[in-house]
Amino acid sequence: MPTRTVAVGSASGLHARPAKLFVEAAAAAPVKVTIRVGEKKPVPAKSMLSVLALGAKKGTEVTIEADGDGAEQALDDLAALLASDLDA
Amino acid sequence: MSELLDRRAVRLDETAADKEEAIRLCGAALVEIGAAEAGYVDTMVAREKSVSTYVGEGVAIPHGTLDGKALVKRDALAVLRFPAGVDWDGEQVTVCVGIAAAGDGHVELLAALAEILLDEDQARSLREATDVDTVIGLLSSVQEEASE
Repeated sequence: MPTRTVAVGSASGLHARPAKLFVEAAAAAPVKVTIRVGEKKPVPAKSMLSVLALGAKKGTEVTIEADGDGAEQALDDLAALLASDLDA
Repeated sequence: MSELLDRRAVRLDETAADKEEAIRLCGAALVEIGAAEAGYVDTMVAREKSVSTYVGEGVAIPHGTLDGKALVKRDALAVLRFPAGVDWDGEQVTVCVGIAAAGDGHVELLAALAEILLDEDQARSLREATDVDTVIGLLSSVQEEASE
């Protein structure tokens, strides 16, 4: 399955505004995307609570995964979003 | 560190006409227990305008902007329950967890809170709680997380 692993770029980590923007983008993707930290259980990337529960800070490496038509493009877009500083 | 959740900041029978009033009540509770300067409340309202703090399960987590961090005196939570609900951009909010956090310790804190809300039974218990000890018990895992 296509995956991308990126370090969270937002200064305040993956919560509040950065988490919201990521969750909205994941929900709009044409494929179902999961996100996980390390080897922990993957959770739905479009669930705000699940994403908050990851507790990802700036620099935490997260892995996103998706399958199907458009998965590669969706993952590229979401990975770019995760790596940028969304607090700025 | 002092208790993250001061029982004086657990208020289970509140009413608010709209979400701004609900946020201001959360902020006022944080100010009253000495966790934040009065100006922090305005940054909570500003944060909400930039992005909704609704997280699901009838719960919103109002907190300040990055600029508001300077107005935080100590990390603390306030739990306000609105039995009649508050309209939150079309979502119905029953519980607001107001957050004052100076550093990035609140990422763990939010993660622990999210874990509780992902458990349907615990989420319902929080929405239906009518006594302060129930709320403090439910959120004890959040407190432990923050004191690690």
